[in-house]
Amino acid sequence: MLSFKTERHVLANGLTVVLAPDDAVPVVAVNLWYGVGSRNERPGRTGFAHLFEHMMFQGSKHVPKNRHFELIERAGGSLNATTWFDRTNYFETLPSHQLELALWLESDRMGHFVEALTPETLANQQGVVLNERKERYENQPYGDWDERMLRMLWPPEHAYHHTVIGEIADISAATLEDVESFFRTFYVPNNAVLTLAGDLDPELALAAAERWFGPIPAGAPIPDIPGVVDPGPVVGGAPREMVEAEVPLPRVYLGARIPPASEAEFYAADLATSILGDGRASRLYRRLVREQRVARDAVSFAFPLVHGRSMMLSWITGYAGADPAELEAALVAEVEGLADVTPAEVARVQAMAETRFLSQVAQLATRADLLSMNQLLFGDAERLNSEVERMRAVTADDVRGFAERFLRPDNRAVLTYVPREIA
Amino acid sequence: MPNDSGTSTLPDRSRPPAPGSLRPFHLPEVASSRLEGGLELRVVPDRRVPLVTGVLVMATGEAGVPERAAGLAGLAGEALMGGTRHRDGAGLAEALEEQGTSFRVSTGWDASMVSFTCTAERLPDTLALLAEVVREPAFPVDEVERLRKQRMAALAQRRADPSDLADDEADLVLYPVGHPWRRSILGTEASVDALEPAQVAGWAEAAYCPGGGGLVLAGDLDLAEAEGIVARHLGDWSGAPPAPPRLPEVRLGRERPVVIRHRAGAVQTELRILHTGPPRSTEDYHELLVANAILGGSFTSRLNLNLREKHGYTYGVRSGFTFRRRSGEFTVSTAVGTEVTVDALRESMSELSDYLADGPTEEETARARDYLAGVFPLRMETAAQLASRSAELLALGLPADTHHVYRDRIRGVTRDAAHAAIRKHLDPARAPVVLVADAEAVREGIEALGIGAVEVR
Repeated sequence: MLSFKTERHVLANGLTVVLAPDDAVPVVAVNLWYGVGSRNERPGRTGFAHLFEHMMFQGSKHVPKNRHFELIERAGGSLNATTWFDRTNYFETLPSHQLELALWLESDRMGHFVEALTPETLANQQGVVLNERKERYENQPYGDWDERMLRMLWPPEHAYHHTVIGEIADISAATLEDVESFFRTFYVPNNAVLTLAGDLDPELALAAAERWFGPIPAGAPIPDIPGVVDPGPVVGGAPREMVEAEVPLPRVYLGARIPPASEAEFYAADLATSILGDGRASRLYRRLVREQRVARDAVSFAFPLVHGRSMMLSWITGYAGADPAELEAALVAEVEGLADVTPAEVARVQAMAETRFLSQVAQLATRADLLSMNQLLFGDAERLNSEVERMRAVTADDVRGFAERFLRPDNRAVLTYVPREIA
Repeated sequence: MPNDSGTSTLPDRSRPPAPGSLRPFHLPEVASSRLEGGLELRVVPDRRVPLVTGVLVMATGEAGVPERAAGLAGLAGEALMGGTRHRDGAGLAEALEEQGTSFRVSTGWDASMVSFTCTAERLPDTLALLAEVVREPAFPVDEVERLRKQRMAALAQRRADPSDLADDEADLVLYPVGHPWRRSILGTEASVDALEPAQVAGWAEAAYCPGGGGLVLAGDLDLAEAEGIVARHLGDWSGAPPAPPRLPEVRLGRERPVVIRHRAGAVQTELRILHTGPPRSTEDYHELLVANAILGGSFTSRLNLNLREKHGYTYGVRSGFTFRRRSGEFTVSTAVGTEVTVDALRESMSELSDYLADGPTEEETARARDYLAGVFPLRMETAAQLASRSAELLALGLPADTHHVYRDRIRGVTRDAAHAAIRKHLDPARAPVVLVADAEAVREGIEALGIGAVEVR
């Protein structure tokens, strides 16, 4: 079992601070998770959590626009932020003697964001985000697949029904009042976890966190996530969509609801997707790519989501001229075939997952991010240490049971892309 | 402000807090030796995690393949996983993955690499398999054929991706006929279509050998342990690959080409501004890194602050030199909304020419130096990173201590030296421009910029 020692403190304003000292290299990772993501968005305001993340780099009371980047780069650090369904994270990795710089910057935008808000910065970042949307989704072959898949997997009244990037009209419609109220509602210390990992003295680091974040007042309790919490264990039907688009090769996506990441059975789902799609010895590669040669590539993964349910996604891309119905049948056969999984297959993906996990946590930034995740989503940062054990506890029977319960025709959304005939 | 946390005085937020005392960063020492057959071994001990990452570098790649066989080196690399004399491809995958070992072959222009990560206790098994893969590949005909078809499909995918299209078009504009970099590293549909399994075996026979390359192992081991295990499987491995063909000279024309690759209805334009550049061995290497960080190599670069943070034209813009073993290039790369394409190109060109004319400020130079010297250790944090950085050195033919002097060299770059270096290597007035765009929407505006004759393809 891993033994990353952590200390956990909760400041009077509700901010949870996780300290994970490791002085192997003179580097410190600062990682801040806010318990807000696209799941908290209201109808007509999709994409807002992500747009807001961009606004967090537009300056705060004591830090003018672009200064945050300038100062971290000058300090020899790297930084970024990402938005996901269940959370938004902000992170800096920098030489350890610059720890307080990151704390000053992060606390200034947690405590003094609104003072720097202007119509110009909002308009600017709406432009940036609309271009991000074009670059990643609209101007890409298959780029709108997740939007289409989410609509089939989740009912409109569930928070995962819409994408993180959101609708163009909604991004354009965001106002300064929206930004301010979103900040006051969600960007409060009682809705955040601050993890400091690396070359630090826990006592001094805690004092520094207290100094910079302690004076920020607590916010009100976080409002409930809009819509239904649990849409049910399965899709409850077989929604399907066929899209003719400017794609070169046909591709079939399958989606299913699976248990949330907080449940033991999620690990069975996770390993099931690895048995399908992880590595050249995986079923999809071995059978569909190597032997039957119906697919040129194959992918399968489970998202660790926590709001009610999570989801599993798989896809294969066929060769030019392939019959999409045959592609779908081939993929479905492998997904349903997981009901006969063997202990050796489970052992293979457990060994691969363990090596990969050890490689990931070797990097301070990733370790800090996983500590924040375990604290914010599961209430226990040190849960990280037992991740491998939870994964190792899964048996072939568990995977078979998962497959029988969840990989059924009434829990399957099918999305097919076929090349548009060019006249 | 209500505050029940016991803090009596508020911190001074008006300026950045003073840094603490700097702790020095020491790159781990690289221990080297040479095996009997000639394989160079570089070992970077790092005992923190019970894993080892290895990278086998072989000193030839796609540039060594004649144009009619373009794609052959890459196909051979993929086909290494198709099976050995002792086991088929499925059996090979099984043998590696049941031990949790990740294993991949990659083929570049100047080098081919096999990399893996395994638990330290599995290192002997993994090295045995590595040796089997590179020394006794079987290249079963049906596997080579499958991988060739997959490559054809990959080329078809590439044609549909605007960003890939722009990169491919850029190579056509920058490199003359007969230059390997003119084609995609995957090869062309015509050349890949014609590749035969026998060619793959022939290429492998000549190319996969230790001369000019080496094996890097980083992680939970030391040189003595490594030597023992490696010698068992690769100790007598010998030979040197053929020297790559001479590269034709690349010159920019007097007139700037402006090429629009038409994509009807595209909502966004992929934009590239191109230039020739020096190889990695250039004495201006560190100066060019600093100069480029200011222009377009960091978030707060001039290009990104203008196109993204001032105008909102793009999600991001980067510029950079690609330093290869024997040549190099420079590219500005971004994707911008169709409706702002002309404005974005005008702004990019004027940033480029202003920067080349006036150079960076002292403040910008200092910031770029601090940034590059400072982030360097972050890229050397784990054994896997140490292994891949060391492998890059091997592939470029650079000494093992190159990284140890990097930060001092960067810190020594002055404003004037950075300016002189980038002026020496870039002439923005001749830099070709490539756009993958809806030509009907952007053509007139681009012609009106008067930067060069516009050709629509």
